[in-house]
Amino acid sequence: MRVLAAAALLGLWQLAATAAANPSFIPSPGAVWEQLLRLSTTHDGIRGYSGSLLIEHLGISLRRILIGSAIGVAGGLVVGAVLGTVPWIRVVAEPVITFVRALPPLAYFSLLIIWFGIDETPKLWLLAIAALPPVAVATAAAVHGAPSDLVEAARALGARRRDVIRDVVLPNALPEIFTGVRLAVGIAYSSVVAAETVNGVPGIGGMVRDAQRYLQTDVVVLGLLAIGLSGLLIDGLLRVTEKRLIPWRGRS
Amino acid sequence: MSSPLELGTDAAVHVEEVVHVYGTGVDAVTALGPISLDVPRGSFLVIVGASGCGKSTLLRLIAGFERPTAGVVRTAGAPPVPGAGAGIVFQQPRLFPWKSVGGNVGLALRYAGVPREERARRVPELLERVGLHNVAHRRTWQLSGGQQQRVAIARALAGDNPLLLLDEPFAALDALTRERLQEDLRRVSEQTGRTSVFVTHSVEEAVFLGSRVVVLTSRPGQIALDLDVPLPRTGLEPDELRALPEYAALRATVSHAVRDAAG
Repeated sequence: MRVLAAAALLGLWQLAATAAANPSFIPSPGAVWEQLLRLSTTHDGIRGYSGSLLIEHLGISLRRILIGSAIGVAGGLVVGAVLGTVPWIRVVAEPVITFVRALPPLAYFSLLIIWFGIDETPKLWLLAIAALPPVAVATAAAVHGAPSDLVEAARALGARRRDVIRDVVLPNALPEIFTGVRLAVGIAYSSVVAAETVNGVPGIGGMVRDAQRYLQTDVVVLGLLAIGLSGLLIDGLLRVTEKRLIPWRGRS
Repeated sequence: MSSPLELGTDAAVHVEEVVHVYGTGVDAVTALGPISLDVPRGSFLVIVGASGCGKSTLLRLIAGFERPTAGVVRTAGAPPVPGAGAGIVFQQPRLFPWKSVGGNVGLALRYAGVPREERARRVPELLERVGLHNVAHRRTWQLSGGQQQRVAIARALAGDNPLLLLDEPFAALDALTRERLQEDLRRVSEQTGRTSVFVTHSVEEAVFLGSRVVVLTSRPGQIALDLDVPLPRTGLEPDELRALPEYAALRATVSHAVRDAAG
């Protein structure tokens, strides 16, 4: 079914490309395929795109996403745990988090560049800031909403305070936290292109932006496909991890 | 040894002039009392009454989850503390879905500092005792409602507490399953010999399980009837027991009292 749909989509694409008859506007699938081969090898002394192979561009972006969202997730867990347990901090900090969450990452990127320059630091900050709010909000809600009946059952079995946290509050919060993490990685993913608008090569977002300047539409499309497909792959990995880590999700 | 005069402090459960009020001011509702009650060691007390008679409140006071507004509650001579001295079975199994069946049963042992190897040995024994075989590695949600409640009973027995408190544990089960669990609980309680306090709204359940039945009035809950059940605790099959003429008579007496008490 899915294979059929993909084939149909590819057919439509080819049709549109032929009708447009302008490879700078809509490149044909064949042209994109050729770019894939060209950017994955060294041709005429030119290595991939701007000296890096496609896979290297992608790898560098993925590394940024990984580090950025790891920092964001770690921060989100800490912030969320505090928000969920200390009511007055929740009252003060919740609007701030909602505010940051509403900002498009590109909007605060300028500020980060002024503060941290144009190298790796502002990019990682951008991704971390983008990834933090969903994890913080999910963690706060999950920790705050520990089911009193299970807490009571644990206490009846002789659980001390730290036992209750380890055996009830945390495992109960895990499914919701994990949803926050998946959301955070998704947001970091969509923000990486923004983070690579300045000095982003090597990097898949930088590559797309660079190719756009030179009207290399086939490279742009190839970059988009690479971002989209690797995004699907990573979400799939997270889903599998979730199933293994949290088999009780949705059960009671 | 204590003298008969100090029977109150020697009892497994001692309830003296207890009143419990929920809320304050104009919203205050007296749920229970004044009520006094002693439960001797090894007895099986069933508290029966209509919903809202404060029977669950009484159990929560005995468990130590709440403190009485007035009066004294003692278990084994001391104010009750949750997790010390009493195993509790709730109306819902309240199993932890992130732990295996065995993991749930082993929790009380773990909190008591029992080493892993000994837990691994004792958990299957506890499950066998409530009629469950080869389920220690299953996930809790793979079991039926009746099996889950059996696990909850095994978990409450695991702590080796002298007292077992049960709050309408079979109310949510279908009739057939409920009967099976009643029979098994009666057998287990005879084998372990521990003191039990069982709360229910079912007269049938009260007479079948209890060595003593206390009927509570509607809010505020007070003792309407305190009845010893002179039925044999061992040696009879459940059906033989239910067929005894005394059984029917007791059931009629309790049923009558419950209806009167509900007003």
